[in-house]
Amino acid sequence: MEPLKLKVSYAPFVRSKDSIESVMYNVAVALLPATLVSIYFFGWRALLVTGVSIVSSICFEWAIDKIRKKPTACLDGSALVTGQLLALNLPSGLPLWMVIMGAFVAIVIAKHLFGGLGFNIFNPALVARVFLLISFPAAMTEWYAPFSVDMQTAASPLGILKTDGLQALADFNTLDAFYGIRPGSLGETSILALLPGAAWLLYKKYITWHIPATFIGTTLLFTGIFYLIDPLGYASPLFHLLTGGLVLGAFFMATDMVTSPLSLRGQIIFGIGCGVLTAIIRLWGGYPEGVSFAILIMNALVPLLDRWDVSEIKAKKQPSIKAA
Amino acid sequence: MKTFKTGGIHPPEQKLTSGKAVEVMPHPQELAVPMSQHLGKPAKSVVKVGDEVKKGQRIGAADGFISANVHAPTSGKIKAVKQHPHPGGQYSMTVFITPDGKDEWLEGLNTPECDWKKLSKEEILKRITDSGIVGMGGAGFPSGVKLSPPKDKTIDTIILNGAECEPFLTADHRVMVEEPEAIIKGLEIITSLFQGKVSAYIGIESNKPDAVAALKKQADSKGIGIVVLETKYPQGAEKQLINAITGRTVNEGELPFDKGCLVHNIATAIAIYEAVCKNKPLIERVVTISGMEIHTARNIRILVGTKFSEIAAFCGSMTEKTNQVITGGPMMGKAQFSLDVPVTKTTSGILFINNRGLEKSGEKTCIRCSRCISACPQNLQPWLLANTAQLRDFETIELYGMANCTECGSCSYVCPSKRELVHWIKYAKTLASKRKQRQSA
Amino acid sequence: MYSESFIPAVASLGSLAFVLGIIILFVSKKFFVAEDPTVSMINALLPGVNCGACGYPSCSQFAEELVRTRNPSMTCPVGGGELAEKLGTALGITMAEPKPVTCVVLCQGHNGNARESAEYVGIRDCWAAAQAFAGTKQCRFACTGLGSCIAFCDFNAMRIENGLVVIDKELCTGCGACVPACPYGVLTMQEKKTERYFIACSSHDRGAETRKACDAGCTACQKCVRECPEQAIVIDNFLASIIQEKCTSCGKCIEVCPTKVNCILLERDMETVKSKKVP
Repeated sequence: MEPLKLKVSYAPFVRSKDSIESVMYNVAVALLPATLVSIYFFGWRALLVTGVSIVSSICFEWAIDKIRKKPTACLDGSALVTGQLLALNLPSGLPLWMVIMGAFVAIVIAKHLFGGLGFNIFNPALVARVFLLISFPAAMTEWYAPFSVDMQTAASPLGILKTDGLQALADFNTLDAFYGIRPGSLGETSILALLPGAAWLLYKKYITWHIPATFIGTTLLFTGIFYLIDPLGYASPLFHLLTGGLVLGAFFMATDMVTSPLSLRGQIIFGIGCGVLTAIIRLWGGYPEGVSFAILIMNALVPLLDRWDVSEIKAKKQPSIKAA
Repeated sequence: MKTFKTGGIHPPEQKLTSGKAVEVMPHPQELAVPMSQHLGKPAKSVVKVGDEVKKGQRIGAADGFISANVHAPTSGKIKAVKQHPHPGGQYSMTVFITPDGKDEWLEGLNTPECDWKKLSKEEILKRITDSGIVGMGGAGFPSGVKLSPPKDKTIDTIILNGAECEPFLTADHRVMVEEPEAIIKGLEIITSLFQGKVSAYIGIESNKPDAVAALKKQADSKGIGIVVLETKYPQGAEKQLINAITGRTVNEGELPFDKGCLVHNIATAIAIYEAVCKNKPLIERVVTISGMEIHTARNIRILVGTKFSEIAAFCGSMTEKTNQVITGGPMMGKAQFSLDVPVTKTTSGILFINNRGLEKSGEKTCIRCSRCISACPQNLQPWLLANTAQLRDFETIELYGMANCTECGSCSYVCPSKRELVHWIKYAKTLASKRKQRQSA
Repeated sequence: MYSESFIPAVASLGSLAFVLGIIILFVSKKFFVAEDPTVSMINALLPGVNCGACGYPSCSQFAEELVRTRNPSMTCPVGGGELAEKLGTALGITMAEPKPVTCVVLCQGHNGNARESAEYVGIRDCWAAAQAFAGTKQCRFACTGLGSCIAFCDFNAMRIENGLVVIDKELCTGCGACVPACPYGVLTMQEKKTERYFIACSSHDRGAETRKACDAGCTACQKCVRECPEQAIVIDNFLASIIQEKCTSCGKCIEVCPTKVNCILLERDMETVKSKKVP
């Protein structure tokens, strides 16, 4: 018998089954109910937007890996998740070239120009969404009502609130909003479809409860205070919870591992900051929706929050080293 | 159920051999006894080629304060004294013995059991030191040194470590089930060495209920506490075990005796009992032979110096899929580059595995999932340590608590990017100390 | 209307630029650091690679120290005699001339000669591999071919070929930065010579074991020791070495070397070879 060829590596020799791929594909699976429901609500157009977004994201990832002379990571699931998240943030009627442009911004500019997976400061899907929102405000706020056969546009509840005030929302139905029967972007409408995914990620420990809980809690608290002060002038916290992208953002975008803080303290500050900014933009800002901006602004603070932890570790050690 | 405070993981237990009684392996054709089977300076060989030695005869003399004697595992003739691969991954001066088959003890050793209570403390310590007892859990710290802590430290807690938290390993488990009396006697001997009120505990993970039951029967009348610990890695690491049982935290730069604790392994307790009561040097131990690629996984009692290749043959050889042979557990063990390496006093297990993780392409970038932080039992930031090590910034890395890392490997285990976190930290430790040496020189 | 609206913008931006300009002017005057012109002149002469061969972390620190102390024994091994002369004229002193050295690899254990022990999977670094086991070759003194030294070479003179480090003699300046980077001590610095005979092996194993592990290993057979007319070869701990000062490059040792691939190597230093046109 040929002597066995042994391989030497360093301990540990058993590793957990989790990998980048498994993390990413689990997020993709968690987003699947929302994607399916969006197709059910908004028809083939939603399927088209999702498909184009995912395929172009993966293609851009492949191309940029080639350009950067890196091993192709286009199938590791991160581009898939970015594409899927981007689609969930877009209105169903968006021209497809804009979708492709969004994918380009997400993968090339937001992710790879910052160094690629693990180094991006901002959530790529959100950067793309905000880029499109600022560049094409009209197309990006042309919402379609669910089940509309003739592609009739309608304003989202938050849009109505911003332009026409609280009185215009007299016929707002809380339960319908929970199911998702309201105009809005693909993924944000149906809270019901988002919850199983969120529960799955929490169960699999890919996310912890800290960011979503503090994010949503702070938004509710902040809007609740103003609702209590003036119920006629401000919408109820429940309205804020069920409309817009709060649930989608809190569970799937703010919790993105790469762009959220590492420590518990950082995560809680991050969540609170997101909540306060969301509420401020929604109540007094120029845009009807503030979740994306809030998360992006807080993303920018993440390196600072992490640095704080590191400098504290250092400060604790410094005197003992000097004494030695 | 008790456990340590921060971090920890739960890898698949894979205890294939927990129900298998300890078997005795017949003596091999040739023994290779390394002079370095312990932490500290290797022993000096005191035999020449061609010498006849008796079983238990000293062939290596302790060289320096932290060192230990080495004894002939059986009677025979010295064939060679040369550098030979060591399971620690390096080479060590090794004495080769060709057994004569008579297995004759040196006179005065392996005597009928005597009553240790009649012996003086000095005599007990001398017997432990002379018999070359070292910590048999893996590190191999000479027990005689460990049992004589500095005079200004008071020891009030003695802990026997029966956690055996590494996957696959069952040697300590079997010993606890089969020889509870010897363990208790060993623990009593250790306890008797210290003045004042000393409480004694044996910590056992909850996945070994039969060991708990066997020891409870013996311990209850003697006032020894059997502590059932949660099955969690690294429950058996010294600092974690102390934290779990006493609630005390051993901080950076401190040793267990700074917190009044002494931790010994189960197997060490038996070795101490045999050395003190029977005058028997440490020449054999129980080893778990396991892994998916060995024909018969079993627990065997084996002479120190038996080569891995002979053990593999005794266990029905390994499959062709074997790509790694590991000493110790899969979390903190060492991969072997040769099957010529011998069993030492610290070899708790030999695993034959097919590590499929090796075929995937290396380390990926950190995705900042923060799992290493929550897995670290020492409350460190493994990603930060590894990043700093990669930058070869050996000054800053000390500020991040590098010295506090126990190299348990939990961070590398959980990392989804498959980064070699613990290896980077170890790398930094080695190069940082090298640099310090060079600077002071 | 339209033409007037730009005036405030231009005025405000212009005045802002003016004020900032004044501040810059003030700051540059106030915090001006006077620099010794000799230091910058010396600095310009130095190679500027900050290799650390002189014992100072950077060329500019070497320059500062040299100007301050005017110590003629301070040498830059990279610049060699030529630079020492230039520095001497610049400072008006006679500088000691450094002996030109070059990097020599004391191992021929490439994959064709040396037997492999086990495959290493993990961090691609010699030191990291050394923590896992004794080395990728059966010979525990051999170059592992993982190339940690390459990162330390500022002159691109090193590469790994077939599992063994190879030095480009033309590029090597003899700075010595790579020597401590090797965990096995395979690299060493030797004085430059037209022809150099040396034992390209580091193995202190006994002959039989060395032969088992490598075709080009020194087995300490004593043949070259007996043959050498100058008694320039000594064997210490199962390894021969040639005392360069005594060696006259007669080449008799290489003729008697019995190993499959001669463990004694003849090396010609490119720089000298070029001038003398030795084949």
